[in-house]
Amino acid sequence: MIFLARRIAFYFAAFFLAITFNFLIPRLMPGDPSDRIIASFQGRLNEAQVAAIRQSYGLDGNLWEQYLTYIGSVFRLDFGISTVQFPEPTASLLFYGATWTLVLVGLAIFFAFIIGSFMGIHAAWNRGGFFDSFFTPINVMLNAFTPAIVALVLFYAFSLQLKWFPLGRAHDPNLMAGWDLNFIGSVLYHATLPVLSILLVSFGGWHLGMRNVMINLLNEDFVVLARAKGLSDNRIKYRYVARNAILPQITALALSVGFMLGGALVTEQVFNYPGLGKFTFTAIGSRDYSFIQGQLLLLTTAVLVANLLSDIANVILDPRLRGR
Amino acid sequence: MHKIGLLTVLAGALLTTSAIVPAAGQEEVILRLLPYHTDAMVENYNPNNPTGPQQRMRDFAYEPLWIDNIWHPGENEEALAVSWEIGEDLKSITYKLREGVKWSDGEDFNADDVVFSFEYAKAHPDYPMGIDVYNGETGNVASAEKVDDYTVKFNLNEPDALARYGLNGLYPLPEHIWKDVDDPKNYAALDVVATGPWTEPRNFSRNGYDLCRNELSRYNDENAIDCLRFPQMNGNEQTVAALSAGDLDWLGDGLTDPDVTFLPQSEFNNYWLPAGSDVNLQLNTTKAPFNNLEFRKAMSIAIDRQTLLDISTFGLTTATRFPIGTGEMYNTWYDAAALEPYTHLMEYNPDEAIAILDAAGFVDADGDGWRDNPDGTPIAFGISMPSGWTDWVNTGQTVAENLQDIGVNASLKTMDQGAWFDAVPRGDFDVYVMWTNGGPTPYNQYSPMFNPRLMVEGQIDFQAMHQMQIPEIEAALDVFKGSADEAVQRAALTDIHKAVAENLPTISLFANPIWYEYSTRRFTGWVTEEDQKFRPQVHDGTRERVWHALALKPIEGAQF
Repeated sequence: MIFLARRIAFYFAAFFLAITFNFLIPRLMPGDPSDRIIASFQGRLNEAQVAAIRQSYGLDGNLWEQYLTYIGSVFRLDFGISTVQFPEPTASLLFYGATWTLVLVGLAIFFAFIIGSFMGIHAAWNRGGFFDSFFTPINVMLNAFTPAIVALVLFYAFSLQLKWFPLGRAHDPNLMAGWDLNFIGSVLYHATLPVLSILLVSFGGWHLGMRNVMINLLNEDFVVLARAKGLSDNRIKYRYVARNAILPQITALALSVGFMLGGALVTEQVFNYPGLGKFTFTAIGSRDYSFIQGQLLLLTTAVLVANLLSDIANVILDPRLRGR
Repeated sequence: MHKIGLLTVLAGALLTTSAIVPAAGQEEVILRLLPYHTDAMVENYNPNNPTGPQQRMRDFAYEPLWIDNIWHPGENEEALAVSWEIGEDLKSITYKLREGVKWSDGEDFNADDVVFSFEYAKAHPDYPMGIDVYNGETGNVASAEKVDDYTVKFNLNEPDALARYGLNGLYPLPEHIWKDVDDPKNYAALDVVATGPWTEPRNFSRNGYDLCRNELSRYNDENAIDCLRFPQMNGNEQTVAALSAGDLDWLGDGLTDPDVTFLPQSEFNNYWLPAGSDVNLQLNTTKAPFNNLEFRKAMSIAIDRQTLLDISTFGLTTATRFPIGTGEMYNTWYDAAALEPYTHLMEYNPDEAIAILDAAGFVDADGDGWRDNPDGTPIAFGISMPSGWTDWVNTGQTVAENLQDIGVNASLKTMDQGAWFDAVPRGDFDVYVMWTNGGPTPYNQYSPMFNPRLMVEGQIDFQAMHQMQIPEIEAALDVFKGSADEAVQRAALTDIHKAVAENLPTISLFANPIWYEYSTRRFTGWVTEEDQKFRPQVHDGTRERVWHALALKPIEGAQF
């Protein structure tokens, strides 16, 4: 319990530091939100209009006043107005992008973790065997591919040439969103290639991590003892070794889940998938402060919460932490 | 961005948008077009919201007073106004409005709406309505008055023969709706009340919406298109694929090497890239060495413009003949004979450039291999470009190499787009590659280029970045504006052209293409190189685009 209490105090401090940076970083970039609007008129505005636009799209007050307003709005969960999509509330765009990012990156991480971990367990158990010496190097190689190439190759081959999958979007635009089979089917169909493009470059990491920890553990005394007790292979493999080896994997998984809300920019761009990465990229280019802040806040919170959950999961999985 | 690569021909079948076919009755004719890239569609139909809605609602739903026919001035330009007349003293313009036009909710359109819209624009400076002529110090239009139900007179502060070019672009709003809107920039205008051919939004989602036929529109006899469909898209990978697959009919995206990346993808894919506005080098003439005319001359002839055309910009740009800051888009305004003596400034001649620099004292004084200023201070400058603007980055690179060849230490400096925009008003730059403004007459380009008010540090305009004040040009601009006589305007313009060529405040490079791609899968009637009926762009700012949409007719048997 003390362990968890200490962690929570730490997270609270980290959260404050992070939201302060979220506020400062967009403002350290040259330019401000009104610049792009003004530039888009290519000189067709007079000075009074430029001044009026700066005032209404830009931000009032000095940095300190803006900061206080910002802190207040964070706790009121008020994300402000987007300037890229003026005057749409940032919250509705964030929510929209986050939903699809959760689908896309969530599915990708889920499958990558499951596939990678099981392959890692299998490779470590039969280390040096055919499975290990064939798949381990292959998976490591895949892991080194850049998502951009994989996404473009998949797009070219399966969307453009073979036409097995759609060119883009999260679902058929003619379907209304809802919990019916048609819509869910369409979402899964549209998500297949984007998910695959992330999955292909990420499951190798889980494979390698799991395999390495497993191999170390296989030489431990408790494994020898378990064998001596005559326990079944599967019981040793999953209940003894894998359960210990999974601990660092869980921590890594928590980090990935946290960073999930950063989106998958390249994949989203190639497949016109409406995820947070794409929105954030546009927002940064246009200095859309409220969107950048909102997205960073979401990301910060997600990383911290995911870490907290992994701490809790570690406590549950690892009895040694419980007493502390 | 990324090229799609060498693709074999895509067959016709639709892929994603297997368009819903109505079960019974006549199939609706839908034109799919992309005037604006966005990550998500937002339900907002405000015709003066520049973040997307304006690009889709102007011209198609909301009509302007007048459509300046840039390629064929004076032909078929009537929109909500049917004629105009400039007052004897050039201090007023009177528009006769079209009678019998109804707003899409059934109310009559009349002079009250126009007067209201003018006053409304004036009262809301943070809601730019596209007319920049009405405000105190900078603008010249003092007031609008209703003469009768279909006549509006705009009074000017001082004689101005060109004020109508600003007023022509006023998109009148229905007074009976907008009089109750206090904060127009935050208003989404969900109930579209307009006079254009398509005014009924339908099937809105984050993925796009349709804008369907206005049953009260006067265009319905000629209009063959039931709905315009605006899909959400962002990025060239998607748009090119969508046009090839039949998810788009009309597009205006910048493409790299379209003969390879675009044409082979579908038998229906077509493009044509007529010459658009020119691109110039803007030199900061408040600094050495750019404050020296001989140096600027040497720069101009050191540039290999043929390489810029063929290699740097992928053969998509058009050559510029004279060193006057504007090009082929305004070729009807040239006095070629008067400008002939300056053509040598546009010809690649590095030996001559070296001779000019040597004679002017730009020699290598400190022995580092690069030329220095005549006073011995070193020359080293960057040509600034936003990273990712591929053709212009290539252009900056080529120019830098050309200058290095004559011993000038120039380099390409790429930066983030936001930083690039940000440095201009402050005057914090050496050399920029910069676009020029379009507009009905070359006045629209030269006026911001030589307006001293736009050269004040902190407010430097993109066109006035050179910051060189040339009184004879300012005087000639006043003459141009002060006369409705085309001969007088032409003479004044030739004076401006010559003064630019003499002083070289900017260095002319080439004309940008007008981006225009289209699919002949479903429609005929497209503007082509053989049939140059009007400017073909799909983007806002091309008021002719409504004619283009109306000119399109469905092909027999096409799938919508």
